[in-house]
Amino acid sequence: MSAAPTEIAVHRYDGGAPERLGFFTDTTLCIGCKSCEVACKQWNDLPADGYDVRRGRSFDHTGALSAATWRHVHFVEVPPEAVPTPHEAQAALGAGAGGNLPRIPAAGTIGAARADLDLVALAASGALPEAEIDRWLFASDVCKHCTNAGCLDACPTGALIRTEFETVIVQPDVCNGCGYCVTACPFGVVDRDPYDGRAAKCTLCYDRLQDGMEPACAKACPTDSIQFGPYDELVERAKGRVVELPERGIATAYLYGAGDEGADQLAGGLGAFFLLTEPPERFGLPAHADSPIQENAPVATAAGLAAGVAAAATAVVSMLVAHRRSGGRGRGRARGWRR
Amino acid sequence: MSHGKGPPPEERIRAREQRVIDGRDITPAVGTRGEPGDWRRAAEGAEVRGFRRRFEDAGWSFLYRTGGSRYAAARAADGDGDAGVSAAARAMRGGRDVPVEVKGPVIRPNVWTWEVPVYFWFGGTASGAAFAALACEAAGDARSARVARMVAIGAAGCGGPLLIMDLGRPERFLHMFRIFKPRSPMSLGAWCLLAFSNTGGAAVAADLLGRRRTARALSAATAVFGLYLGSYTGVLLASTAVPAWARSRRFLGPIFMCTATASGAAATRLALAATGTPAGVQPTRDGLAAVEAIAMAAELALSALNDRGLGIAGRALESGRPGRLLKAARALNATGLAARLAARGRGGVAADNAPSVLFLAAALLYRLGWVAAGRPSALDHEAVATLGRAGSP
Repeated sequence: MSAAPTEIAVHRYDGGAPERLGFFTDTTLCIGCKSCEVACKQWNDLPADGYDVRRGRSFDHTGALSAATWRHVHFVEVPPEAVPTPHEAQAALGAGAGGNLPRIPAAGTIGAARADLDLVALAASGALPEAEIDRWLFASDVCKHCTNAGCLDACPTGALIRTEFETVIVQPDVCNGCGYCVTACPFGVVDRDPYDGRAAKCTLCYDRLQDGMEPACAKACPTDSIQFGPYDELVERAKGRVVELPERGIATAYLYGAGDEGADQLAGGLGAFFLLTEPPERFGLPAHADSPIQENAPVATAAGLAAGVAAAATAVVSMLVAHRRSGGRGRGRARGWRR
Repeated sequence: MSHGKGPPPEERIRAREQRVIDGRDITPAVGTRGEPGDWRRAAEGAEVRGFRRRFEDAGWSFLYRTGGSRYAAARAADGDGDAGVSAAARAMRGGRDVPVEVKGPVIRPNVWTWEVPVYFWFGGTASGAAFAALACEAAGDARSARVARMVAIGAAGCGGPLLIMDLGRPERFLHMFRIFKPRSPMSLGAWCLLAFSNTGGAAVAADLLGRRRTARALSAATAVFGLYLGSYTGVLLASTAVPAWARSRRFLGPIFMCTATASGAAATRLALAATGTPAGVQPTRDGLAAVEAIAMAAELALSALNDRGLGIAGRALESGRPGRLLKAARALNATGLAARLAARGRGGVAADNAPSVLFLAAALLYRLGWVAAGRPSALDHEAVATLGRAGSP
């Protein structure tokens, strides 16, 4: 892609350079305990989101990363490959096939208790519980601290900076809440707080890093699904994990955001990368992403400026033509233009 | 900016849960907004108990043992493993089709409110009026050029406050000028608006002081800044992760430039009509009529061209509020063009000015529609994921 070699090299300290620090989130270890969410809220003193339970169909009540939620544990309930619709179930029952109703966990017990119960009608009315879950996936999502960070490219005030640990943070005392970083993040991480007016996101616990301590979420993670450390070490271990997992029966393990070459890289490589076993869209992650500014701004600016020159030229030419057509404007021209 | 309604959730929770049991205050700590916690040590310089410097506290787990852990394979250093690792990622991230149901949201919708599209319209009008001033000067109509310059500075002056109003922290608008950042269209745009307003304002001042030559030079400079002021708003939208905008990256700048030129010419035309029409001004008004008609016709053509390449990303532009706004804009645009053709050389003052009014309204609706499309497009998870599968747009 059009990604430049990045400004990371520019921001490196001379001499005793601290290396790049990052997260490796291994979703095969995640048990969905949400310790990371809680630890993040506590350490960073982030406000509560309220008790509203909005997503009745999933255990994922956090929903998304936001200005007040910098870690979000995805709960993904994957249905069985083919869930019979009520109509299909009815048709199958009508054909004497017995249908697929045993897929519904509660159906057996209800049927045993009341022999006269019309299960088909119940299923059609939607009163029965949903079909069973085939797999239940967890993944703790966080700011990716991209190499080509869209938010960093977008920020007009310089509030978003690259730190000495090569992470990306918002300086709250600089941000004026223009909201451009929100749309420039290809991962939907940065958000402007509707009550506070400023943008906010994961800092990779910048304050803890400065004291030589690991970020709160990684510290709290009981299964080491969230691992923290020098980036190169993390990538090395993560690659070993990808090699190891097929031998342990998980064939689809892959790294999201590290270990890719050239155009396959996500935003030039993610400072916080993931080991996933499902397509990225299951966790609301794009299959490919780069800084939208670096991808689009050069060509869009060139097109816009070219159109501007054309528009100005059109305006001048149309005006000259109109004046010439009206006749007798030569006198006016001489007076107006050449003096 | 879009403020949250009512008190923030943590305030409601605090109020609801504020209790003292057995003399102990058990009000929950629910945090503060906007910045990371401000922690201080009890004793300055003291170390946290149990912590080891250089992030060694992160390495306590058995997972990191080099010999004994079955967590990760010890890989050969020859790079064979690397090929396997990148191939595994390519297998799961490659391909043009989204293989599973998308669990959104993938990206966040924009947080901008009505001020932003209306500012876009004012900024565009200012830029178009700067072109009109340039054209009037070229044709030797100094009086119309003066009016056009006033229109330009007036529109830019209306746009600035709107831009400030939309900020989450309006009192910090000067932070826009902390740095000059060519990478960021918004930074460039803010600087461009500042430069445009300064040269435009100085040109008007020079007019008032009777300094014709200075005014002309400043007018030309204003038009140069106008090249970017009129188009950068489209560039700004195109340089985002929002499918409908990012997919239009080749056309959004030109489309915005067209409506900017037309609205600037239309506003100048109407201003000329309002300030009376001496004999020499009619050719200028004819010229401006040609400019606005050409620009709006080009807009229609570019939009049609752009729509063809949008694919799934175009859904957000066709339905809902943005769809209605853009349809209305297109209808006004077409009506204006037809009315201009019909009014050629005859008709009264109303027939002569109606198309300009229609074009101005159409330009505003275009801006409102394009910005309104951002939210549904960002929340169109399927479109976002499909764009991701397609790789670079």
